[in-house]
Amino acid sequence: MKHSLLALSALFALFMTSCSSDDDMNDDDALTGSGEISIKFDNGYNGNDLVLGVENAANANGEKITINRFNYIISNVRFVNKDGEEYTYDKDSSYFIISQEKEEDQIELDDIPAGEYTTLKFGVGVDQEKYLQGSEGQGDFLVEAEENNMMWSWQAGYKFLNFEGTFTSESITEATEFKIHMGSHGSELDNYKEVVLQLPMNVRVSDEIDSNIHLKIDASKILAGATNSISLTEKQVIMVDAEKSPQIAVNTSEMFEVDHIHNGGGH
Amino acid sequence: MTNDLLNTRNLYRFFTLVCIGFYTGLSYGNDKPNIDGPTPSGCATHIHYDGEYFDFCDTCGCGSSGGSMGYGTGLNNNFFGLRYIGQEYRSRDGIFADSPWITENFNTIQAWANLPISKRIIANVIVPFQFHNRSLPDNTEQTISGLGDISVLGFYNLIAATPDSIVSIKPEHYFQLGGGIKMPTGKYDKANNEGSVNPSFQLGNGSWDYVLAMNYGFTYRNWGISTMANYTIKTKNPKDYQFGNQLNLGINAFKTYYISDVALTPIVGVSEEIYASNRELGIEVAHTKGDVFLGKLSIEASYNRYSLGLTGMLPISQNLNDDKVELRNRVSVYMNINL
Repeated sequence: MKHSLLALSALFALFMTSCSSDDDMNDDDALTGSGEISIKFDNGYNGNDLVLGVENAANANGEKITINRFNYIISNVRFVNKDGEEYTYDKDSSYFIISQEKEEDQIELDDIPAGEYTTLKFGVGVDQEKYLQGSEGQGDFLVEAEENNMMWSWQAGYKFLNFEGTFTSESITEATEFKIHMGSHGSELDNYKEVVLQLPMNVRVSDEIDSNIHLKIDASKILAGATNSISLTEKQVIMVDAEKSPQIAVNTSEMFEVDHIHNGGGH
Repeated sequence: MTNDLLNTRNLYRFFTLVCIGFYTGLSYGNDKPNIDGPTPSGCATHIHYDGEYFDFCDTCGCGSSGGSMGYGTGLNNNFFGLRYIGQEYRSRDGIFADSPWITENFNTIQAWANLPISKRIIANVIVPFQFHNRSLPDNTEQTISGLGDISVLGFYNLIAATPDSIVSIKPEHYFQLGGGIKMPTGKYDKANNEGSVNPSFQLGNGSWDYVLAMNYGFTYRNWGISTMANYTIKTKNPKDYQFGNQLNLGINAFKTYYISDVALTPIVGVSEEIYASNRELGIEVAHTKGDVFLGKLSIEASYNRYSLGLTGMLPISQNLNDDKVELRNRVSVYMNINL
């Protein structure tokens, strides 16, 4: 009896394992037509949710930051499919402002050709080509940028990142304002950066399927980045700064990661 | 499930359970919760009735998929009754370390029965009614209620029970193999699955699911051991959502005390539920697989043909939905009439 028991259980176990994993993957279902891919920019600070006006724990530089504004420009969205072909979203419609204060944290891209995409690419800021088109070529986006404090009034140009608030540190114990406005300085200093994110699973889109890419943003990396460390204690206002603003641009381009993909709706 | 087992922790647990089951000569059997694919929510209460019952539940608040199913195991335990299963979960609303938790309560009332079909074949039927609620971060409450997924299983007794008239002084074993279906009688509402971390907040899976089950146990004098294993294969529902397959394992030890006309049976046990990833449109959904290891304390009182049981289960360790969902506790109360 014992042997037959063992044998039966073994069989049972085998069965359980065999009929599991990739049940009916209908991978071959043809994806036809086009659909929407939305991208959620979920702003956080060092693993926690980013809440304006609330002090965050000290960063690697020992500075405790309270963020009061966190806006940035996303542009030139492209998707690379599983065959390595790159699809570029209509350039004129591909400029977006992510604004924590206005709770603008999602962009919706219509009419993406059906398929499976492995990689998301976008820019942070406004590229030179667009910038050089002047106000005519930039159209409504210019107005939108102005409304979102993303334009420099004293020079023609966009702030790619508007990061403001107060901070304290060991030597500066009283809450002190900081302002980081990063952008290209005309055509002399180009701070536009490209971000390439490999997706943890392919994002699918078709007539029947709209999908979502949920990004997790870590705003703490703007100052305490992997590449550059910027001390507010040293300098509280960084705008046109030939040395620090390119460092901010690099750090900002490193604050994005993919948290998860939702194929077929969902959050 | 294969993937889950590749995970060493699960493997280890699985192995331990299997070893406990077989090498002590005791075995596999009864009580175990069942898992369902989705988020693990779980439900598992199980019961033992006279030492030989089990049940399992699956996620979706246990209810959704079949809710917990209890199958009575052999030993002439044919009965019908009512069982309440309450489960409390909490799930993370957001992707950050400090994102708020929302509390989810899954409540299920089941009408369940073990009916003799022939000398060796038993049918087990569970008809669940679910009423779940959760408090959302904006302080509103969402409630869903209705019929859950009905399940029907058949069990075959591989070892014939000793006739009641013979008082055995040797250990008495039972071993049952069974299988059945869980029908999509509970509503699956896609909207509940959007913007929510816990995909199991549903009345049902919406799919036809298939269950394989095994119960083994023995009693010796007034002591007993019961073990169970069951596996639910879940298919794609009409919304192209497929809850992950679920493996449930459980082992219980019990002793019956007789106090005049009443038989009191305290039961201790552990159980493991392992959930595979859910799939949507054929693609794995992130953060939907997981496992939970539970400890169980239960007591059953029998008088005449009536049995009353009370079970509490607490998680010993868990990793549900990448820790975005946590099982807090499960309780169950049942009242059965033996046939």
